[in-house]
Order: sequence, then structure tokens, then C-alpha cells
Amino acid sequence: MIEVDQLVKRFGAVTAVDGLSFTVRPGHVTGFLGPNGAGKTTTMRVILGLDAPTSGTARVNQKSYPELIRPLHQVGALLDASALHPGRTATAHLASIAQSNGIGRGRVAEMLRLTGLEAVANRRLKGFSLGMKQRLGIAVALLGDPPVLMFDEPVNGLDTEGIAWIRQFMRALAADGRTVLVSSHLMSEMAQTADRLIVIGRGRLIADTTTAQLIESSTRKDVLVRSPRAAELADLIKARGATVKPEEDGGLAVTGLDAPAVGDLAAEHGIAVHALIPRSASLEEAYLDLTGESTDFRAASS
Amino acid sequence: MTAPVPLAAPVPLAVRARDVLTSEWTKLRSVRSTYWTLLVAVVTPIGISALVAVTLAHAPGKQPSVDPLLPGLISQEYAVLAVGVLGVLAFSTEYGTGLIRTTFAAVPRRRAVLAAKAAVIGALTLVAGEVVAFASFALVQAVLSGKHLSVSLSHPGVPGAVLADGLLLFVVATMGVGLGAIVRHTAGGIAALVGLIFLPAILGVLPAPWGARVGRFTLLDAVRQVTALHPATDLFAPALSLLVLLAWPALTLLAAALLITRRDA
Repeated sequence: MIEVDQLVKRFGAVTAVDGLSFTVRPGHVTGFLGPNGAGKTTTMRVILGLDAPTSGTARVNQKSYPELIRPLHQVGALLDASALHPGRTATAHLASIAQSNGIGRGRVAEMLRLTGLEAVANRRLKGFSLGMKQRLGIAVALLGDPPVLMFDEPVNGLDTEGIAWIRQFMRALAADGRTVLVSSHLMSEMAQTADRLIVIGRGRLIADTTTAQLIESSTRKDVLVRSPRAAELADLIKARGATVKPEEDGGLAVTGLDAPAVGDLAAEHGIAVHALIPRSASLEEAYLDLTGESTDFRAASS
Repeated sequence: MTAPVPLAAPVPLAVRARDVLTSEWTKLRSVRSTYWTLLVAVVTPIGISALVAVTLAHAPGKQPSVDPLLPGLISQEYAVLAVGVLGVLAFSTEYGTGLIRTTFAAVPRRRAVLAAKAAVIGALTLVAGEVVAFASFALVQAVLSGKHLSVSLSHPGVPGAVLADGLLLFVVATMGVGLGAIVRHTAGGIAALVGLIFLPAILGVLPAPWGARVGRFTLLDAVRQVTALHPATDLFAPALSLLVLLAWPALTLLAAALLITRRDA
């Protein structure tokens, strides 16, 4: 279990994490979602005792990280897969980390097997692709067989096969009863992996819910109607208690009445309909709406 | 694994120390830079001391005033940079690559990591330094014996001087470890090391008696005093100079220990 309570982290004038509180429980993959710069990595670093919080606390298994003895048996983390010495072999890299926590050679070999790196175990890391480095990072995280796991943007830069592998891996870890926290800036990615979501923006908590609930509550659905007698039709729709928003090109965005009902209503009154399109906002858009700042970014960049 | 894992079973301090030392030892011997810097640190001074000895032996006229231990010492000063780099790299490469976060996540007691790195690099360079010191001594005396300038290892003061000579690499390498942790950058760490070792030596050329008054605190004058067969009279006594010599890495590591827990990794 990971418990973050009223966490604040400032770097000079910049507040990276601003009063964040949440709990990550075992048995689920919990997505840690937010746009780039929202404070996900900083939060994870504070949880791992790498950055000192300005105020507030982060606890793992009821302890603050620096209190943990042989912490790899409690928490496994993959922050940056490229953070390794390019001249070292995969085995030496893993062994040096394992030894610091009293973990034996057998476990090192087992992790290399599990992550499919056996064949390249004695190659220097400078020749490793990003996908291989990600696998090695996961091997490091799993060395101590920890009940709590954290992965920071684990699918960044991976090919489809690698993404599928990691996704299935994280699900298996959670099914095993472990606490799994995975950060991402992509809602679509999290929707396929995470059961629970913690959404943050500008260092603050935006949502702490299940993935299903978030999709349900924030997905926008409407019907686009085009008609030569749009104004008249709009009044009729409003009279039925639905909402109508005129679009810039003369179309009507109708919420509260589905497409067949709008069509029937128009037919009843002999109004021609040129288009009747049920629309649903993508999950990604719902998420961008939720994290206001990236909506600005999207508008600016399009 | 649905049952909660028992939290932090007590692990004896000695076992934890061994864990961190083994880990750092594995790191040290699994990169090529260790072997290159050590090779340079061992081969260069032995070669240079032989060269200096040959030059001395063939110098015109008798030079009874020359310290027969000097060639061995001068040559070690050339190995200083190589082991200094070895020391600096211990932390600077980890900070440079980001590996330091993995290291500190595995061992949250950061001063234990500092101590372990200083210990394994210190042990390695102490052995290398003594090997160089005694090998250089043997080689130099063999060359000088032809001119009857040599001294034997049984001569009073000689064993101590040669042993002390072997300390220089250890002193500089552990100082490098401290500087790497403080500066967290390879080029910057090496620059700081070179600055601390060689810049104060310039102060030695101040007009007397200030040159010696300031110079006796510098690392290079301290090591010369410790290893001299006939110590200079205007510097600290050899025993005190030994303290000055060891104070350089000690103070650097102390500063590193204070900073390492205060800064974000």
C-alpha cells in the first residue's frame, strides 16, 4: 500500500506537487495519470525517498521510505529505464543492485529469464534497445519480489509488442495481490491497463476513481443534427427537455435526446433532416477536459 | 502473495555493510574504466621512476645531496590524475546516467553508499599505490646502485618513507570519491580535484617564509615531507604532515557526507 498525504514539493519558485493526497491499494493496477509536468515523477521520487518533500508525507507499507531496511523487498520501481552504466553487462548491473539488498545470484538469473534477457545477459548495456532496457528495469524492480511496484511511463517509446508485454505483466502482478502504480500521460493507455485511476494536474488531485466510473461520468455524448429549418427544430427539441447547442457551421449539438428520437420528432413535424450523427467524445478528450491545462495546450497546438 | 509481507526483518549492521560493499565492488570491477585507470596508475609511475633514476645515475659529477627516494615519489605524482578520475567517476557516472536513483532507492542510507564507494576504491588504490611504491623503489635502487647512490630497505626511515609513498594514490582516489559526490559531474569533479591538488602548490613559491608556511598545508608538500628521507625543516614534522595529508580526503568526504543527504537525488 502507498499512502500520500498532503504532499507538497517545491523546487524554488515552482510548485511541482501541491497538497496531493491519495492511497494506492493492493490487488489493482492503479493508473497515475496527468499531463507532462503534472507532478507524477516528482511524486514517485518522493515516495522512493529520492526527493525530500517540502511538507506532507509519503508512506509505503506504513513506513516512510528511508526507514525501510533492504527496501527492494518492499518496493520495486522503474523510474527511468535508461539510467544505467552503458559499459556494464546486464548481469553485472542486476547483480550489483541485488547484492545491496542481500539478494542472491539465483534470483538475478531468474529475473533475466523472466524478462527474456537471458540471451543478452552478458552483453554491455550500451547495445541495448529501449525495449530491452525497459525489460531490464522491470527485472530490477522485481528483484526483491516486492509487494509494491511503481512504474513511471513504462510504455514510452516501446513498440506494440513491448507495450502488450508490459500491460499483461502489470495485470499479472496486480492479480497476484500486489500494489501496482503506473504513471502515464496517455488516457487511452491507462484505460486498457488500469482498474483504478488517480488523475492529477498541476500537482493537484483531479480524480481518484475507478476507470469505469471515470469513463461513465466524463464521456460526453451528443447528436449532431443538420436541417434547413434548424431554428424551428431546435425549439421542438428544447420543448422535449433536451439541450441544444448551435455549432459554428449551423449544425445543432443535441444532448438528452438520442438520434432516433430526434429523427422521429423532425418527421412528425415534416422537417427535413440532412444529417443525424450520434457522437461520443473519445476517452482521451474526456481526460483532456478533466485536466484543463492540456486543453489549452491542445487548442494552442492545433 | 496475498498475505502482507513481514516488514523489515532486522538485518545486522555488519550484514548490511557487507551488502553495500559487495554491491560497490561489483560495480567497480564491472566497468572497463577501472582497469584502464589502474593500468595507467601502475605502469606510468614505475616507468617514470626508472627514467628519473637513469637520468640521475648518468648525471655528470657526483650528486650526494639527491634523495634516493625522490624518483619513486615524483613518479607517483603522475599517477595521481588517473586514480583521481577513478574516484570521481564512482559518483559522477551514476549522477550523469541517473543510476544514482536506483542506487539510493536500493540503499536509502546514502552515507553508507558514500562510505562503501570510498572503501572499495580506497582499498584498491592503497594496494595499487603500495605495489607501485615498492616496485619503483626496487627499480630505482637497482639503477642507482651502480653509482653507489642507492639506499637499502633496511636503512632507518626508508621502510616508512616507501610505505607513505604508497599512500598518495589512496589519498587522491578517496578525495576524488568525495568530490564526485559533491560536484556530481565528471568534468567538474576532475577540475575540482586538479584545482585542490595543484593550485595550492603555486602558493609554495611565495617569498620566504610564507611559501613554506602556506605550503606545508598543501597536499603535495605534505606527501613530500612524509616520504622524504631528510625532511625539510621549514615544513611540518613528518607525523604532522601525515595528518595534513589524510585530512584532505577526510574533509572532502565529510563535506560529501553532509551534502549527500540534504540534496534531492
